[in-house]
Amino acid sequence: MSTLRLKGGRIIDPANGIDGEVRDIGVRDGRIVALHPAEKVDREFDVSGMVVMAGGIDMHTHIGGGKVNLARMLLPEDHRANRAPDNPLELASAGCCTPGTLATGYRYAEMGYTAAFEPAMAPSNARHAHMEMGDTPILDHGAYVMLGNDELMLRMLAEGQDFERIRDYVGWTIHATRAMGVKVVNPGGISAFKFNQRKLDVDEDHTHWRITPRQVVQTLARALTELGIPHPLHIHASNLGVPGNIGSTLATIAALEGLRGHLTHVQFHAYGTEGARKFSSAARELAEAVNANPNVSIDVGQITFGQTVTASGDTMRQHANADLGSPRKWIGADIECDAGCGIVPFRYREESFVNALQWAIGLELFLLVDDPWRVVLTTDHPNGGPFTSYPHLIRLLMDKSFRDEQLAKLHPEVAVNALLRGIGRELSLNEIAIMTRAAPARLLGLADRGQLGEGAAADIAVYREDPDREAMFTTPEYVFKDGELVVQRGRLVATPVGGTHFLEPEFDPAIERMLAKYADEHLATAWRHAAIGRDELCACANGGRLLACPLHGRGGRK
Amino acid sequence: MTANPASPPPAAATGRPWTCPFCPLCCDGFSLAAAPRPTLIGSDCGRAAAALSHFGAAPASATARVDGRAVDHRSAVAAAAAILGASAQPLFAGLATDVAGMRALYRLANGCGAILDHANGDALMVSTRALQDRGVFYTTLAEIRNRADLVVCLGTNATDHYPEFFRRTAPAADAPARHVVFVGACMAASVPGLEACTTEEIGFAGDVFDTVALIAARLAGRRTAASDPALDALIVRMQAARYTVVVWESSSLPAQGALVAEAIQRIVNTLNRTTRAAAFCLGGGDGGYTANQVMTWLSGLPLRTGVHMRGLVHEPQRYATARLLAQRAVDALLWVSAFSPELAPPDTGLPLVVLGHPGLEEAAARANSVFIPVSTPGIGSAGHLFRADGGVVLPLVPIYADTLPGVAEVAADIAANIAAARAEGGAR
Repeated sequence: MSTLRLKGGRIIDPANGIDGEVRDIGVRDGRIVALHPAEKVDREFDVSGMVVMAGGIDMHTHIGGGKVNLARMLLPEDHRANRAPDNPLELASAGCCTPGTLATGYRYAEMGYTAAFEPAMAPSNARHAHMEMGDTPILDHGAYVMLGNDELMLRMLAEGQDFERIRDYVGWTIHATRAMGVKVVNPGGISAFKFNQRKLDVDEDHTHWRITPRQVVQTLARALTELGIPHPLHIHASNLGVPGNIGSTLATIAALEGLRGHLTHVQFHAYGTEGARKFSSAARELAEAVNANPNVSIDVGQITFGQTVTASGDTMRQHANADLGSPRKWIGADIECDAGCGIVPFRYREESFVNALQWAIGLELFLLVDDPWRVVLTTDHPNGGPFTSYPHLIRLLMDKSFRDEQLAKLHPEVAVNALLRGIGRELSLNEIAIMTRAAPARLLGLADRGQLGEGAAADIAVYREDPDREAMFTTPEYVFKDGELVVQRGRLVATPVGGTHFLEPEFDPAIERMLAKYADEHLATAWRHAAIGRDELCACANGGRLLACPLHGRGGRK
Repeated sequence: MTANPASPPPAAATGRPWTCPFCPLCCDGFSLAAAPRPTLIGSDCGRAAAALSHFGAAPASATARVDGRAVDHRSAVAAAAAILGASAQPLFAGLATDVAGMRALYRLANGCGAILDHANGDALMVSTRALQDRGVFYTTLAEIRNRADLVVCLGTNATDHYPEFFRRTAPAADAPARHVVFVGACMAASVPGLEACTTEEIGFAGDVFDTVALIAARLAGRRTAASDPALDALIVRMQAARYTVVVWESSSLPAQGALVAEAIQRIVNTLNRTTRAAAFCLGGGDGGYTANQVMTWLSGLPLRTGVHMRGLVHEPQRYATARLLAQRAVDALLWVSAFSPELAPPDTGLPLVVLGHPGLEEAAARANSVFIPVSTPGIGSAGHLFRADGGVVLPLVPIYADTLPGVAEVAADIAANIAAARAEGGAR
């Protein structure tokens, strides 16, 4: 049994309605507990004057799996510039845009993050994704499995098969790949590109299967609701990056028909066609739609300036954008009749009108959505920029004058005309804590994370107060993972293996007969290898803890 | 990891489902009869048969050796740690192992500042360097099965080194009709999987470099002086096809093969502006893709990278095993070869540690050498390997319970030994 006490910190714990109250936090065996003030503890930390929050949770960050590793391979120039670690606890691991998994874990923890979720796991690549996440030290992790471009689901929709069978197939896929949720990427569009279709609007037919993205979104959202999956359908909407795509984004929200949906990296999906350049901010329209639809949550996908690499399952759109890449090289792939992949290096430039406007649109979205519980802070790492830019982004959101200074450096048309100029809102520490901890935990169904109440996991970040919020969030004073001190003054002091969050939904096992037949007739892997067993998951994930997450309601139906 | 090595195998005629670790296609659709000796059922794959001939129905008895003398495991580990700990610049090569083995070897490489290269590093760098410079558009086995109406095998018949390739990619019942063109390669006499396809052989127009350059230029609409009717017909076919797959083999190309890979990428990119196409590279055997994937995700850089005091250094040319040995740029060699006794360490007088198949005993029997026999994933132990198409990882299940440790275990033991020796040295 080990106990510790954080004494006298200013607690920011929005999940429990605590905003700045000074009190102690007790920890016993990795869990937060109420300790009697006189109780002796193994270790006491004086955190008076410091801000205490739950550990950060990044619910959309490309940290593990095939496309991330391809992105690393594509950009040796990003990884060559490196120094040997000066901390003997660290193994060598390099890269800024897409660091090695080791560096990813180290750098996240040093910022006070204790969990990260890979949003785009292809079913056929699930073992690989779990391996990379298992090699991302300190952080707990999980992944959303991609559906809605697998030929099987599109075929089932096209054949008009019973919804219940599709629902069982969705449940089986989550079970087989050990996923924490389901993501749909350009619904139907990745498959359509394999059939040489170059564009797919929400109500347009897939050239081969003759089904629409609307049907795909509706079916998946309904399946997840009935299966009791805590995380709403994670949606990378149609027409990413296309001027005027606000139309398809709003149509996607409408397609949910009130069911829960999480629209991801919405900055890339909030573009109008106004102005001389036919490219404008549609942040206000999107924010109004989010405000009006409580079933919808978002993460932003803020861009930051400089070199990065975009890694996406959206082969259709990445192919279209490949000529805009910098440096000019790219990777694409058609994958196992269930997914695709497109990797395009990108350099966001302050002097570019388009990039400057993208930057402004992202911030506008953060600031125009009223309810912070439905907005999650992301850069869609590495697509909008690396996760290491979060402290900078937090300062932009909390400090209007700093934001104005940055805006003034951008392309003059954007600097003068951006909607952002007129937005005075400055987010509070409480709102930042919601967007970076409490809201992602709630949206994922992680009841004992993202909060500091009794019984919660002792994932805790302690920051020294600093009016420069970028400096404050760059270097926490202490970070605890499950009660273990892992970072002190921004330096790693322990590197435990993180755990894997996953779901075990119920489904009618009769679906497996159909799936086995399909695998035999169409796929290239033996059916016996379709599902990852618990023991195998443990081996893939490097021996980390298996954190099966409870389902909503009774956990789906038979 | 679960395995059921205790139960006796069923009748030899049926065998047990098995996943083959001996080629990057990782075939998992055939069975294996374990007795009287391991035999593949349902495939005549010569590569698997040759590899299986090095295993019996029961685990081999093998002993670790130091300078050729039999020693216990602990002494061998200590001797290996002494060699690697004393080395100013060790090289980890061969690297024929599984995911767990590479994970542990990278940790060990950090403990002693090693450079890492694979036995097939030259071929691996052909595809890696082309990817680093230009990118790639690739496809996978199931995509070929369902989509390809034209398969162009460039400079390879695929079958010689990957006997089951065409069966693994044979058209699904509802797939489009398929035509297979062998360019500069002769189709094998009997090829399972090609029954439903039409086939054709055409020659190179010059050499392989000329041929890919010509195809790339013509597809891009450039006029070329030379004309070759067979190639012209192929180009028309590619433009008309709905899904062309260009198959090539990284180890079969001449020097500067990365240029061919780059040209294939140009061909595929041009086709993708109007229709659909993708490349498929046959390569990554002996755990090559596995080692490269694991190395890349842990460190951020692919193989032929050194873990140095000044940081990670990636040198796709200079860090080739043969070159480092020839230039005496390294002073100790750790050779890992868990799948086959045929993948022997290169001839070198340097202090040598071999973690290998029991049949490699003689390869490290001289003075200043350590031999530690290791289990083969998929035969004596569980494990994971990456398949040739990149993202698919296959779990391997043993056919018997081995008496030998896995590479991961041995590498971790050596690393712990080095760390303990350093700590002791530091304490003094």
